[in-house]
Amino acid sequence: MKHVLLLVALAACNPTLTVQSPQPPGRIARMDPVRTFWGLQRYRLELSRGVAIALTCDLDGPCEHMQVVSDDPAIAEVRPASLGVLQQGGLDGEQTSAALVVVGKAPGATRLHVRSKGKERDVVVTVVAPPEPGALTAAR
Amino acid sequence: MAVLLGGCAMGGAMHQATLVGQCAETDAACSRRHPLAPLAVGARFHPDVSAEIAGTSTPSLRLESAAPDILSVEAGDLVARKAGAAAVLISTDDGSVVDFVHVWVAPVTHITLAKRDGERVSGSLGLAVGEDVTIDPALWSGAQRLSGDEDLTWTVSDDRALAVLRDGSAGRRRLKARAPGHSTITVALGDSKAILDVEVVP
Repeated sequence: MKHVLLLVALAACNPTLTVQSPQPPGRIARMDPVRTFWGLQRYRLELSRGVAIALTCDLDGPCEHMQVVSDDPAIAEVRPASLGVLQQGGLDGEQTSAALVVVGKAPGATRLHVRSKGKERDVVVTVVAPPEPGALTAAR
Repeated sequence: MAVLLGGCAMGGAMHQATLVGQCAETDAACSRRHPLAPLAVGARFHPDVSAEIAGTSTPSLRLESAAPDILSVEAGDLVARKAGAAAVLISTDDGSVVDFVHVWVAPVTHITLAKRDGERVSGSLGLAVGEDVTIDPALWSGAQRLSGDEDLTWTVSDDRALAVLRDGSAGRRRLKARAPGHSTITVALGDSKAILDVEVVP
């Protein structure tokens, strides 16, 4: 039981991410949490090639000294972003948001590692080719 | 130079920056007034980028394309390469993204001609000797008007009757009636063309 509580506590103490930009029409830019019994494990992000998505990082307020690395920048490039809004930082008042932008560069799969204060959260990224004209379905 | 700022800006996905076309305020027929429209394949768009961030003036900004094979950035211009969509990242000089805009590129299906006030011209046009009229071509993809400057080809069947003069804009031309006669103007881009018959009377 002690190990279970430890795992839940660790999962809760890792950075969380929030989408800050809309998906363009006819393309994909969507991030969903992957949850298990133990709580939030990671995120899965689906992007069309050539499309960008803005995310913010939180860890008891905006992530401090956030670092983001892509395993394969040729598939998904990650860039620091400046989002000029204040956000509640736990009990310590407001801080400027910690933001990043992910760009779909080429079809394929890779993983992002978001780190702050020694904690890490992974994002599994799938970049898909843009649809051929007329190939869209309502099933998306 | 007066630049349009309202009503035609491409707002960024992060609501911090905008791209507008560099276009004179009084130029009603300026093709670059339509930055919300897709860019025509092969066209060049001259953006004017600015940001509105609380507590700061606009920082030094640069543009980058997420898919340079669809849309490239050359000397600050957006150049449409092939049909598709690409995010244009608006970044500070240290690479931090301030905002981005998804820009669409579409093929040209047909060309129309209009006078400088926007009134469409088709079929035939009559001019008196010494009279002139400015013609502004518009590029379309189906029912959608495209934006950007294209290198259109202008040909005139009889340049004794009619002169085709540049007027400083990349796409626009001024037709000057020289002598009585008949001339046919053809404006072409690839397989797309617009034809205008001009009759010059004394």
